[in-house]
Parts: sequence; structure tokens; C-alpha cells
Amino acid sequence: MTKSQGLQNSLMLAPLIGATTSWAAALGLWLMFIVVVSAYGAGMWALRSRLVPIARLLACLLLSATLTSCAQMAAQLWSLQWHQPVALYAGLIALQCVVLEYNDFFQSPRLDRLRLCALFGALMVGLGLLRELIGNGGLHLATLAPGGFILLGALIAARQAWTRSTPSH
Amino acid sequence: MSRVSSVVILVLLAGLGIGATYLMQRTSAPRIAAEQRLIDSRKLLDLLPAQTYDNQPLEQPLALADITLPSSTLLGGYLATKAGQPSAVLLRSQTMGYEGSIELLIAIDSHGKLLGVKTLKQSETPGLGGKIADWPNTWLQGFAGKSRSDPDDAGWALKKDQGQFDQVAGATSTSRAVIGAIHDALRYFDEHRQQLIGSGTHD
Repeated sequence: MTKSQGLQNSLMLAPLIGATTSWAAALGLWLMFIVVVSAYGAGMWALRSRLVPIARLLACLLLSATLTSCAQMAAQLWSLQWHQPVALYAGLIALQCVVLEYNDFFQSPRLDRLRLCALFGALMVGLGLLRELIGNGGLHLATLAPGGFILLGALIAARQAWTRSTPSH
Repeated sequence: MSRVSSVVILVLLAGLGIGATYLMQRTSAPRIAAEQRLIDSRKLLDLLPAQTYDNQPLEQPLALADITLPSSTLLGGYLATKAGQPSAVLLRSQTMGYEGSIELLIAIDSHGKLLGVKTLKQSETPGLGGKIADWPNTWLQGFAGKSRSDPDDAGWALKKDQGQFDQVAGATSTSRAVIGAIHDALRYFDEHRQQLIGSGTHD
């Protein structure tokens, strides 16, 4: 379908496990992602037609790095306490922009783009909520990375079982 | 699109990007650093109840005299105040434990009663003496409310030394060191109350 779906998805997997220890952190990181990707998309839309292909790559790097740095500093100013645990994954957003650009994400139809962002957000917040609830309920493994992986695997297994049990789909 | 215009646009973009990031960093760095200090100090000072002080004790260290005590050394002291009135004195004490030196933060209120003790640094046996570094710590909390006079000087020792306090299981030397440091700090507070608290309290 796209040139490197695997890379794109694995870059979304990292914050999905790392930044979902609490649903507030997950929501905050997703908001940062939306803001940076929107600003980046707008910038590249203005520049793409004016640049030769080689220059496009350099512009993409410059733009994503600048926007991510500014977004990180703005987030630190707004609430350092919330941002500290997810600062690592906020920096990853720059790489996500570059990979999305490589996969022609910004030239796909608007509905596809909205769908991907909404799916990412739903997964992040949903997983964050689940992990926080289970963690507070007593199973502290859920708030650690292994618990996140196990939970994600369980969710995937549940979804596959559900789609298989309804063969009309 | 041509190569020349591309190069020009790239240079402009680089300049804008670097400029924006640099400006943002310059304007936000002091505030972020202050916020970081606030978070660190709140974490360190959680042995004081939050509503008992409203200043920044770590920003105003006290000048201490006679810091060499019988079984410990004082590394520093801080004063916590509420509405200008002293509410607690924090003393950083260093003593020799079983494996190495132990650094404690001892909080004493203005009447000489112990508010709490926290371990800042230790290198004791993990699982035995190393238990003093757990936070919150039930053993260290057992000292809260004691003062120089309660128990008296003979009572400030382990039960096996004819004193009043239980030891940490399997860590006699560590427990003795901590008790000695706390007792030293309380005695120091009593002897230097005026210099530490200054004017303002009357007993």
C-alpha cells in the first residue's frame, strides 16, 4: 500500500507503549502530535511545489526539527511536571513527520489523514485509560512497559477473535 | 521550481528555524529551570506537611557553627517559614554507617520536636540497612514527635543498648548511626535555637 508502512507503524508503537502510563500523558502527547503534524503539513504544502526533490528532503528535516523543538519547549513551559515522563516520545514526533512525508501521507486524501490521526488518538487514550485503571486497581505491572505490551497484545487478540466470530464482515 | 530558488528557500527556512528555536529557548529556559527547582524541592521536602511552610527553604541555606557533633557532622541547614514565622528547621546530617556514610535530612519544628527524617544518601547493605532509604519509611516515622527531652538522653539508643528504640531488622550498626545522628541534631537544635530560628519564637 505505502512504501514503508512497517516503519510508520513501529514509530507509532513506541509512544503507544511508552507514553500511555496515564491517560493524561497519552492525551497530551497526542495533542502535541496533532499540532506539530498540522503545522508541518501546512508548511510543506506551501513549500513542496517550490522545491526540487532533493531540497524537499532537507526542508522536511528542518521544518520537522524546528516545529518539534518549539512544541517541546512550549509543553515544558505549560506544565513541566506532566511533560517530563513523555519528553522522550515528544522528540520522536519529528521522526514521525519525516516518515509520514516519505510515505506520502500529506498527499493522501484528507479523510485518510483524519482517520489515521483519530485512530492513533483513540488507541493512545484508550490504552492509557486501561493501563491507569488496571494499575490503580492493583496490578502494577500494567503501568510498566511489559504490561503495556501484554495489554496491547491482549487487545489485538480480542479484536481478531471478534472479527473472526462475525463472519459477515 | 528551480535550483536557485530552492537553495534560497532552504537557507531562509534554516535561518527562520534556527532563529525561532533559539529565541524560544532563551525566553523559556529561566522559567523552566525555576519550575524544575520547584519540583525537586517539593519532592525533597515532602517530609514537611505542605501547608506548614510557604517559602523556598533550599534557596536560603543557614550558616551553621560548630558543625562537628559527637557522632555526626552537619552539612547544612535550612529554615522553613510560614508567613514570616519560622515553622521548621531542616538539618542535613552525615554519619558513619555500617558500609559507608549516611546522609540524613532531619526536620525539627520550632519547639524542638522531630517532624520527620529522610535518608538522602546511603550505601548500606541492600535489604537490611538499605531499608532506611525506603520512602515513606515506617521505621524513620517512629521518630516523629520525639524531642531531646522525650526520651531523655539515656533513652536515645537501641533497646539492646538500654534505650527505647527498635532497630531495623538485621542492621544494628545502621540503626545506631541513624539514632546517634538524630539525637545529635536535636541536641544541636536545643543549643543553637536562637541562631537557627532567629527572633520570633518564644517558649
